[in-house]
Amino acid sequence: MKRSNLLTEYGALLALVVLFVINVVTRGASFLQIENLRNLISQNAGVGVIAIGMTFVIIAGGIDLSVGSLTAMCGAVAILLVNKLASGGMGPTLAILLASLGAIAVGAVAGLVNGAIISYGRVAAFVVTLGGLAGFRSIALVLGKGGEIRSQVQGLEDFGFGGVAIPFVKNAGGGPVMFYWSAIVFIIAALLASFILNRTRFGRYMIAVGANERAAVYSAINTQTVKLAVFGILGGLVGVAAVLEGARMNSVGTGSVGLYYELDAIAAVVIGGTSLRGGKGRIWGTVVGVLLLTLISNMITAYNIDTNWQGLVRGIVILVAVLIQRGRKENE
Amino acid sequence: MQFPAVRALDGVSIAFGEGEVHGIVGENGAGKSTLMKILSGVQHATSGSLILDGAPIRLTGVRDALGRGIAMIHQELNLVDDLTVAENVFLGRELTKGGLLDRDQMIRETQKYLDQVHAAFAPTAKVGELSIAGKQLVEIAKAVAANASILIMDEPTAVLSDPEAESLFALIARLKEKGVTVLYISHRLIEVCEICDRITVLRDGTWVESLDAKSANPAELARLMVGRSLQDFYPNKVSAPETPPILEFIHVGGASLSVSPGEIVGLAGLVGAGRTELAEALIGVRPIGAGEIRVSGKTVQIRSPKEAMEHGIAYVSEDRKGLGLLVTLSVVSNVTMANLRGYGKWILDHKKEIESALAWKKELDVRVGDLESSIDSLSGGNQQKIAIAKWLETKPKVLILDEPTRGVDVGAKREMYNLIQHLAQEGMACILISSELPEIIGMCHRAIVMREGMIMGELKGASLTEEAVMRLAAGVEAA
Repeated sequence: MKRSNLLTEYGALLALVVLFVINVVTRGASFLQIENLRNLISQNAGVGVIAIGMTFVIIAGGIDLSVGSLTAMCGAVAILLVNKLASGGMGPTLAILLASLGAIAVGAVAGLVNGAIISYGRVAAFVVTLGGLAGFRSIALVLGKGGEIRSQVQGLEDFGFGGVAIPFVKNAGGGPVMFYWSAIVFIIAALLASFILNRTRFGRYMIAVGANERAAVYSAINTQTVKLAVFGILGGLVGVAAVLEGARMNSVGTGSVGLYYELDAIAAVVIGGTSLRGGKGRIWGTVVGVLLLTLISNMITAYNIDTNWQGLVRGIVILVAVLIQRGRKENE
Repeated sequence: MQFPAVRALDGVSIAFGEGEVHGIVGENGAGKSTLMKILSGVQHATSGSLILDGAPIRLTGVRDALGRGIAMIHQELNLVDDLTVAENVFLGRELTKGGLLDRDQMIRETQKYLDQVHAAFAPTAKVGELSIAGKQLVEIAKAVAANASILIMDEPTAVLSDPEAESLFALIARLKEKGVTVLYISHRLIEVCEICDRITVLRDGTWVESLDAKSANPAELARLMVGRSLQDFYPNKVSAPETPPILEFIHVGGASLSVSPGEIVGLAGLVGAGRTELAEALIGVRPIGAGEIRVSGKTVQIRSPKEAMEHGIAYVSEDRKGLGLLVTLSVVSNVTMANLRGYGKWILDHKKEIESALAWKKELDVRVGDLESSIDSLSGGNQQKIAIAKWLETKPKVLILDEPTRGVDVGAKREMYNLIQHLAQEGMACILISSELPEIIGMCHRAIVMREGMIMGELKGASLTEEAVMRLAAGVEAA
């Protein structure tokens, strides 16, 4: 492999490693603290899970702008459901479980509706999900009466900060350091998605539809079902992300939760090397993209930089990633 | 990657006189379009010269050609649908007054040109709302506005109804009286004989003959257009077994297409005759229209290539890179794409996929190094073999091959012919769509000839000759 190809293929990973080393050198022990590293993975787990679903959609030649608003809508549904179930006398664990499934189902149905309009109604994904961006947020605001919905179930917050104890590590107070459930869900989702993309028939169809939809039709592939499915999966993953966010905050601010998640998720996918034209992509790249974005915001806080600069830095990172991608196209 | 250059035109020398209507005829690929592109400045000739009014010229582009009075009316009209007639006529050379568009002046001028071509619509009409014939008049008005002395028309009547064609002929006659030279390309041999003064026949990129239209007749033109002997290039024909047809398409008018196991049936016709469209209807990507499909004698509904596959019908597209293959995917993925279910309901057995691709590579002698590399790196002939392997994977009973030898070199062509015959001998029912007449004659047991979306007739045995196909394809006679 030529050096230029190496850069375009693994550029995002290289950037992540370089930033990581810079942090190790300048911040030393405080950066390498196990809690900090854990937070890097769990902090944006919600966006991460959405970005994984977004990778599927983009590989299949689509785009989904509605995921941020859908996060708020699913989050509102989750909190309202858990409160309702718990006040009805149900135990907190079962209530949380059922409410989570409810939120995931709502997300999946919303995604399927998007997908159905796009594939059977033949409307551009950009337009349909732009409608979702406005519509789902509106439903969330109606559900939350324009404000925040608080959970009245103590168990939810416990879930948000619960997880699996990292072995051999104690925190300052001598207690265990938890590897949060959100990070675990993110990692499992990534592994599963990677398997689906690379090893299953559905994954192959996704790539075929995104590479050339008409040729896929001519190859006896039911492209409409494939498109419907990727949007449905993304919707379900948005429901998962909403539960993770709701548990972490123990509430859902219907006007603020999920704001700009669509942009963060698409940015992570693009930075990770998945082509916006579809037909080509990788899950591990998206994970690297999410971690890179998280590390950048982490650094801005750590180095006491005015957080207002964050958007500009992200914008530059996205542009550089796209420019490198274009370089790859010309190399081929 | 480098492709060998093909000499599209060789030793063609034609003189066009002032105020002459000069017909240019030839089979698909005879070099008509290339000649027109050179004359209208779209393409440069690698050698030879262009002499206008006695002086050699070198055209730098379409604009240059137009400046010298050479205008081309394309088959696909180059108009902007959203603009008005006047805006189209003055597109790129708008009249201005004090830096602003002088709309009134442009509309007045356009009206003048429209009157000259006897157009019934207003300069302010939106072009998108005009009929095809109307749009053609706008194109001609544009040429008149540019003061063209040479007008090149590529298949102008292909899209017109008979009365519309008649008024076009009247317009050509009026232009001729004004001293405009018209180069008239058409497949319709009858009308070429009627409206032209002289006719030039091209074949395989070379000049065959220029003759007076008065002394020409359509049958003679068809003979000149074909006029080559069958080379010893095709495998010896093996007679097909007499078995009931496996696939039939029956049009309401009674015309039909059928193919039996072991038989190679040609689908001949000129470009745009509707052969690909018929094939696409057979696999359910476009409506079948007024007709029905029967598989093994039973009427079936086919709504998608998937349903066609379930009935054992496979279609290898003429558009290899656009529809036949997924060019960004690997060779292996392309081989198994239509038959992925055979490699696992959910999880794919990639080892089995590779074994399968290897087997096809050996069977069809595909020259490829790495099966995991993108299929784009293969030559045309090898890509075509993979496109066929992809469908043989699905074990079809009927294989429709659309221009299978287009863009492949001579050696690969021969291999393709041997492969098709081999498949037929194994019992495959083959439909071969081809614009190359020798291919139809050399390969097929029977041939169906289409013209303008209709099945014109069927030829077989001794009556299956190039001239007979050409006469049906050009509409000189009905079978």
